[in-house]
Amino acid sequence: MDFYLGLAQVIGIHTLLGLSAWCVLHTGQVSIAQGGFFAIGAYSAGMLTSMWNWPLGPALGAGAALAGAVAVAVGFPALRVKGLMLVVATTAFAEIVRLFFFNLQWRVQTPSGLVGPDGSLGFGGIRYFPSNGWSTFEVNVLIWALVAGVMALLWWLDRSRVGTLWRAVGEDELAAQSAGINLTAAKVSAFGIGGCIAGLSGGVFAHYATHIEHNNFGILLATFAVAYPIIGGLSSLAGTLVAVIFIQGFLLEGLRFLGEWRSLLFGALIVVVMLVRPNGFLSRALGVNWGRARRTTADRTPPESGSLYRQ
Amino acid sequence: MVPTVILELQNLSRHFGGVKAVDQLNLQVHQGEILGLIGPNGSGKSTTVNLISGVYRPTAGALRFKGQDIAPLEPHQRTALGIARTFQNIRLFGHLTVWQNLWSARVVRQQGWTGFRERWLSGAGAAREQAEQLLVFGDLAHQRDMLAGNLAFGEQRRLELIRAAASGAELLLLDEPAAGMNAEEIDDLDQRIRSLRAQGHTILLIEHHMELVMEVCDRVAVLNFGGKIAEGTPAQVQQNPQVRAAYLGSDETPAAAPTEPAPPHLHQHA
Amino acid sequence: MDLLYLLDLTQSLIDGVLFGTIYALIGIGFTLIFGVMHKLNLSYAAASIGAAYLSLIVVSAVPAPVVYVASALLGGALGWLVYLICFRFVPINNPLATLMSTLGMLLAIEELISHVTRGMPQNFPAMFASSNIEIGQFFLRGDLLFVFALGCVAMVALTQLLQRTRLGLATRAVAQQPIAAQLCGMSVNATNANTFVIAGLLGGTAGAMAGAAIGVLSPLMTLPLTVKGLVVTVIGGLGSIPGAIVAGLIVGGVENVFQFLRGVAERDIYVMLMLFAFLIFRPGGLFAAPGGRD
Repeated sequence: MDFYLGLAQVIGIHTLLGLSAWCVLHTGQVSIAQGGFFAIGAYSAGMLTSMWNWPLGPALGAGAALAGAVAVAVGFPALRVKGLMLVVATTAFAEIVRLFFFNLQWRVQTPSGLVGPDGSLGFGGIRYFPSNGWSTFEVNVLIWALVAGVMALLWWLDRSRVGTLWRAVGEDELAAQSAGINLTAAKVSAFGIGGCIAGLSGGVFAHYATHIEHNNFGILLATFAVAYPIIGGLSSLAGTLVAVIFIQGFLLEGLRFLGEWRSLLFGALIVVVMLVRPNGFLSRALGVNWGRARRTTADRTPPESGSLYRQ
Repeated sequence: MVPTVILELQNLSRHFGGVKAVDQLNLQVHQGEILGLIGPNGSGKSTTVNLISGVYRPTAGALRFKGQDIAPLEPHQRTALGIARTFQNIRLFGHLTVWQNLWSARVVRQQGWTGFRERWLSGAGAAREQAEQLLVFGDLAHQRDMLAGNLAFGEQRRLELIRAAASGAELLLLDEPAAGMNAEEIDDLDQRIRSLRAQGHTILLIEHHMELVMEVCDRVAVLNFGGKIAEGTPAQVQQNPQVRAAYLGSDETPAAAPTEPAPPHLHQHA
Repeated sequence: MDLLYLLDLTQSLIDGVLFGTIYALIGIGFTLIFGVMHKLNLSYAAASIGAAYLSLIVVSAVPAPVVYVASALLGGALGWLVYLICFRFVPINNPLATLMSTLGMLLAIEELISHVTRGMPQNFPAMFASSNIEIGQFFLRGDLLFVFALGCVAMVALTQLLQRTRLGLATRAVAQQPIAAQLCGMSVNATNANTFVIAGLLGGTAGAMAGAAIGVLSPLMTLPLTVKGLVVTVIGGLGSIPGAIVAGLIVGGVENVFQFLRGVAERDIYVMLMLFAFLIFRPGGLFAAPGGRD
């Protein structure tokens, strides 16, 4: 039972990560940096609870806010120009974040000894859950409550004007501009909200794992983040969740016997899926169609817009 | 009464390396008129529209809307100011519904918190009602929940048109709206353009369909090699020898509406 | 600031510029592929390092030049493979799919290298490591000079190929107008495949040179090389080969100078800041792509 509870925690955290990328992808932008914002949220929330005794809620909130602020700062210059620039900028940024935390050494004296990030040795002792008597079940409740909350938020945003504006920008940037939509505002807002969500999930991850290090936040995590919404299909939120369950649940846990080679297999899986079903896989395959995923005649003719996503 | 100039191009130029797509163009659009912009292929019509709407920045010259210099403005700022356009190749938001296309184009001009809330956080409710009028005007009310990409070609053209109107802009730039249309659809378009003018819009119509241009436009400007070679009423422009030369290099006018008397030499054989 | 400090600073600049040829080659590879397909191949740098690794396996106990050539050839083969898997069959109006595909490829290659080598750095043969040229107060490291020279040879060969051969002509034609090129009888698929092979040859060379300059190959090199290659491509201007060359040397120099000034830990942050400065002030890069409008 504990095994499944543990798996559920991972799935929940990764779903949040996937949802953060979903936001950004909606405006037609690809971000390789969701793992970086995840890391920022993880380290800051972890530091706040273990080094300065912050309660969990505010710590998670602060981590999310910081990640979101950094996202806006990073995204703003990159989002003013072509879509591919964001890919480059986020790839560079993710690597810088990882290097930053590789070098970060900041420890304070607490009753339980020296606590804090210790460079390449990582950051251990994030013991909020055990110290406060949280059971695995209770942690799951927290994680899934957050998942539900974020999904509700995104669903509400999607139904409001901002969701339509995001999708218009994702469809055709030139037409969106001419229709009076401020492209930069739309893209930066999606990127910032995505950063917040990634930071939130990172904060939860840090407390779940109790020990984090720079290696957790490399290219694998970045790939997971964008793969979930793409494989799950961008038109519905639920698709991302299904994709996480499929990838984490069946693929990575089910193929445990492959040991260290699972990540390699994941990379190969992505390549295969993009060949076979480039428009998203699980959403349609499993008939999970809670969004607006109907194909249109527009899908068959090559459009000419400048957007990266629906080019 | 002196007509108010709503849009002014003064010695406007746009160069691409050595190519002078638009060269020292002078043009004035009067408020409330339907001005046609014609010219052979490569004459600079598309570039002119792109300059006005903000896709391109001018290499030289001045561009003024209601007296304000709009050259430094981004396209979405120009739309907020009052200039909207349609595209030659239909650029609808294919995976959004018809009314969502209109909703996304509705420009919220309020500032401050109310403006922000209206612009980003408003729900679909009130917006759907406001879209109704335009949907009825465009004969698309029954298609309001259809994905724009699934519409028939003529319906898509109509949606492009009302989407431009949805922005609340005063000046509408219509970029070859009649392309690909049959005679009945063009008649429809003619009526709609006149209706839009009656509602208070000013229209700059870029077209190849001479019949439509000569029928619906108050004035016509003719471009060639990036500059203006003629300007006047449709009748005047049709008689202009330079215009004839630009199009066909002969005595014949471009496919005109049959409102002109036959050329003199035919009468002699009557 | 005394003279010795200035001398050391200049020395690191020189070393950095020489090393920068590697970044220039990777940047050229990215920019070549972008030029023909208008898409980024995120796995390019990883494949280049992968080619260098493969060359160690395939040819053991042979003189260094053979290893370098092997690395280049394997790079070309890997390039063709990546084209086939990630680009050839994916619909052209779906750049997101190829981006994801190459990202998956990057992950796969990195994991493959890490696990096969168990994370242990592998020695890579260098040449002229012990011979240095002295010019006044400055040393020109022999191995770096060799890397620089090799890089220059590769770049000259590439420009000759693009400017003087039919293949080069086809590559440029397809990059500018794929449909018109097809109508002129050029096979877009074959030309694109060839471009990937050429980029792969360059990449394999760059991978070998990276190994030669540093002395070892390590899976930790793939991501930094990817990032710096992308930075070079952007700073130089997407699609511009001269831009990539100049930008590569600049990035190499700047990186080493900052390493001298602020240490290894911080230097990559400065390279990143350079990228952002360009994004803000000059997003088109140093040289805008030929035929680019607005």
